[in-house]
Amino acid sequence: MAETTTITAASANGAPPDATDKPVTALPPAATQQPTPPTSNRPRTPFHQIHALPIPIRTFPLPTFFPNNPISLVHLVWAWVRQVVSSPAAEPSTVHIGVWDPATGSVHVNDPKSIRVLWEQGFFGKGTLSRSEPNWMKRELGRRGASQAGNVSEERTEARREERRMAKWERAKTELEAIEQQRLEEARLHDAPSAEVADEPQPMEGAQVPEQVQLAAELQEVTEEPAHVAPVNRPVVVSTIEGARPPTGPTELLALPNSLLDLIQDPSTTCILENPKPPVGPAALLALPNSQADLTPNTASTTETPQDDKTVLNQAPVDVSLPAVNGLPNGVLVNGHTRSNGTPKHGVVMTTEASASEPSTFISMMAQVNGTTPSVPSSLPSSESISVSTPQGNGPQPPKRRKSVRFSPDVESTTFQHHDPPRLSPDGLPKSTAEVMNGNVNGSVPLPSLPSPEPTPNTVVATPVLEAAVNITEIPNKEQFQLAPEEAFFLVFAMEVLSIVDPVTLAPIPTDKLLTLFRAQSHFPPQQVGFSLQPQDAFLVNYAVYHHFRSLGWVPRHGIKFGVDWILYQRGPVFDHSEFGIMIMPSFSDKHWKETKFEAPRRSWSWLMGVNRVLSHVLKALVLVYVDVPSPATFDEAMCQGGIAAALEKYTIREVMVRRFSVNRNR
Amino acid sequence: MSLDDDDTPTASLMPGPSADGEEALTADEVLEDETQDFRLFTKNAHISAQTIRKGEKDFESHGTRAQENALEQSRQTMTEVLSYTRVHSKQNWVRAWYFPDWWADWREEEHEVAKDGEKKPFAHVSDRVVLLEGSSIASMNLGRAVTGQPKDKPGRGLDWLLPEEALYLVERGSLDLWWPARSMEELFPAATAPLKQDEAESESVAPSAEIPGEDDEVDEYENGFPLSLQAAYSLLIGNDGDRGKISLQKFQVFSNLKRAGYNVLRAPPTDRHLAISQPQPPKSLWQWLSSLLSLQHKPQPYGPLVQPGLYRSYIPIYQKMAIIPRHKPSPEPSSPFEMDEPFAIHYYVWKAAQKWSKLRHPAPDFRLAVVDAQDSDVPTFEQVTALVDATPHNPANPEWKGPGRLYARLKHGHRHVLIAVVDHGVINYMRFAEGAFGEEVLYERFDARGAPRGGKGGGRGRGNGRGGRGGRGGRGRGRRGR
Repeated sequence: MAETTTITAASANGAPPDATDKPVTALPPAATQQPTPPTSNRPRTPFHQIHALPIPIRTFPLPTFFPNNPISLVHLVWAWVRQVVSSPAAEPSTVHIGVWDPATGSVHVNDPKSIRVLWEQGFFGKGTLSRSEPNWMKRELGRRGASQAGNVSEERTEARREERRMAKWERAKTELEAIEQQRLEEARLHDAPSAEVADEPQPMEGAQVPEQVQLAAELQEVTEEPAHVAPVNRPVVVSTIEGARPPTGPTELLALPNSLLDLIQDPSTTCILENPKPPVGPAALLALPNSQADLTPNTASTTETPQDDKTVLNQAPVDVSLPAVNGLPNGVLVNGHTRSNGTPKHGVVMTTEASASEPSTFISMMAQVNGTTPSVPSSLPSSESISVSTPQGNGPQPPKRRKSVRFSPDVESTTFQHHDPPRLSPDGLPKSTAEVMNGNVNGSVPLPSLPSPEPTPNTVVATPVLEAAVNITEIPNKEQFQLAPEEAFFLVFAMEVLSIVDPVTLAPIPTDKLLTLFRAQSHFPPQQVGFSLQPQDAFLVNYAVYHHFRSLGWVPRHGIKFGVDWILYQRGPVFDHSEFGIMIMPSFSDKHWKETKFEAPRRSWSWLMGVNRVLSHVLKALVLVYVDVPSPATFDEAMCQGGIAAALEKYTIREVMVRRFSVNRNR
Repeated sequence: MSLDDDDTPTASLMPGPSADGEEALTADEVLEDETQDFRLFTKNAHISAQTIRKGEKDFESHGTRAQENALEQSRQTMTEVLSYTRVHSKQNWVRAWYFPDWWADWREEEHEVAKDGEKKPFAHVSDRVVLLEGSSIASMNLGRAVTGQPKDKPGRGLDWLLPEEALYLVERGSLDLWWPARSMEELFPAATAPLKQDEAESESVAPSAEIPGEDDEVDEYENGFPLSLQAAYSLLIGNDGDRGKISLQKFQVFSNLKRAGYNVLRAPPTDRHLAISQPQPPKSLWQWLSSLLSLQHKPQPYGPLVQPGLYRSYIPIYQKMAIIPRHKPSPEPSSPFEMDEPFAIHYYVWKAAQKWSKLRHPAPDFRLAVVDAQDSDVPTFEQVTALVDATPHNPANPEWKGPGRLYARLKHGHRHVLIAVVDHGVINYMRFAEGAFGEEVLYERFDARGAPRGGKGGGRGRGNGRGGRGGRGGRGRGRRGR
């Protein structure tokens, strides 16, 4: 309702009807600046070359012999002779070292070369600070402006998401515009009998009519209020309630205060209320302040250090916005306002860039948007007036607050992008607000941003300009590379590519001990080694499934992110999406389990439907993998005779493909 | 139905996995999930069972006159549609009598053979408790006449309904269920000539022409009295295994499928014992020799399975890793387990668009088990293998070859069964298929990998199919409510 009031205020003030289109035209500075993907110019090695090997074992195929081409025989013989004379080392040629880490229940690999090999040849393991591929270092370098930073998958995902989000907002905007257009047309049609319109139960139509006496008078009162916001408060609220126009689009609804109480008790909300134009575009909406806290510290810092050139620049959009509070009807004020607050959106990137070169560009741009020419000196008093009108200071209760985390009153809005590494200021202390604000200008500190989507590429591009002097070599790699027990055991047991050492003695753990260790570890709490281990230990069941699919050539990875036990990639995460999600169903069909009345775990139907729902939303198919566990007697016998290799043979694995069946679709 | 919680909302918005022929959606099906635009009713004078779904859903009023008008118009049309006078025509109405014990002692052959030598489907005679007086359009595909009776048996040649069929018709309003006050012999005397012809002629005239005393304007309520819907439910719904009754869940599934246009018949009991493990064919000498040879290559007890050495190809490497036995689907059912309730096939289901009659029909399209979500869990290994093995071998389309159709083949499986999970009347159908990942060895293609190749998705245009993933929820706010 707030938005609609201000819209009518604008039109009642005699603004031309096409003023409603203003924000659209005002947006381009922000919207048209597409995120430039940080693609390096170096030709990237294609994925199929990087990940040519499906497992860390190389093969030496002999050249094909074509009977109709005698030269191929020479080629063949030559290759064979060469391999006989200087035979390549037996594969696997290198055995990597992994350290068992009992605290995390995983195996850590420290050698960077081993890490690359294990990741690239078979997609084993994951980086602790990355989604899967251990590329924290790369991201960190890129973030600090190193030129050799490639684009990593996390950033590509971010960019893609941003694109999608923009597209959605674009669509929403077009919809809103269409509605607005419709509304205007209808208003035009109703132009003549405007006197009757006043009684119409559809006020929004009448509201567009400038001649409308009743509303106009009421709104005149609003728009003629002086710059100081607090007195305006009451009338605005009143006029909002009697509102000329119900909140229509999703955007307006989002901008609504939560309750009337919010409106009355929080005078600063009028900043938003006064906004004479609903934020229509995506950028505008994203830039809406999330909380009071977003708005106030900015003004506070302005009053503290108003002489600082950069800070003044930083506040410039605020200044720009203030004339509008004074009653100027058009412009994207809230946008400008919060942009100054350091939303690392397109607009902000522009601000920071402008700060380096030409301070007045952004202001003039904003001025152009607003249709006024505010001067920088005017900033001081007006920002004071705002800070006066918001007496809550540090700890206001914002009317709406999304996703921002508050740790202490000192740090105002600490919303972290998930790709930001945990990080302290150089002195090791959390930064105060003022520092954060300054750092904001410098562009060196991750901004205490709104939870608005951040086009990462932009910051990546923008920061090196300002901060080129990072000493890259100093960055220690904080990331660990870890292998899940199943992966580690596969690498050891199936092909001995890995040797797992004890964390204390650094002595290699023999495979049978390793198996016992992993089995004990898979219980909670971890059982003592030597405790009675069962054939249905979680590790054994999990490993049987992992081994089953690995030995068929699939790339299984832990699927907890999708709510399943494993997900199956045909070639690997970099090539394709996984098509299958696997739920393991341990089964006990042997008569031993019946005789001992073993309570098999039961899965309810709602559990299955839930799993299936989640999976189908990420376009994966659910596979229930039944693992029929042998009786302990059979298992132990096999273990005695042929070790784990024989024991695994006793497990029966059956896949059952599960899919929802739609009655309406299969007729 | 538009609010029916069909498959994932996102799936309906995208073309679907292109390779999977079963899942490819036609434009109609995509539209199916859309909201209804009632205004379209006015244009179609005859509204068939197929309702119109189209248009975009508005979630809030945006205050334009156009929207108001559209809404008002829709309301108007909806009122008109609903105010349509429904008439029960005689052709679509029939009376039936409840005789619960008439066939109680009847013993049915497993496969009744008709005169022309063709096998007739199992009739479940002892469960048939409702006698149809005549026939109607609605009951055309329901009921069975019990053949092979002596001529003097009363009611000979008339159709008998199973409880779910009768109840379904009662709910539809095309059947009046009556409680007989007189005996069967009195109501349907045996001697009344050839009933069948009589029926055919006088079908529309008087369905109850056979009843004595009808001509004399005798009060027909002397013969019995009509039962309410509640009474019909209480007579026909029972526990599983009660003769002449059906469990509520099974009835709900039956009625749901019938309303959706499927043809449904009870599965014969023979199918439930189909899963007889057949003896393995004797091994040939060669197989025996090779098994002897493979014995010598016993893997190391604790690995490595792949001994260090020089390898020319990935195939032997992966073959050495294959120690866990893989399931090999075969045309013969291999499960050693017996089906146990409720994981047994209860219904045969046919798609609508087929030549179908209750006596002559092709093999069913789907076999269906009905379970109660509260009383049962996700089937165990024994249950699911027995159930799946009770269905015929139905491998994927042989044309689906190559790596491009890999996912489609895997998802199709080798046998499949439907399980209708009923939770307090809400039905969710799940398709369980026998998967066989062991039949699809990926490693055979690994040797070709070293060479550069075009496209990175294994030759499939995955890109477009996945493009929709980000548009999760499609219209974003629109779908959120579901």
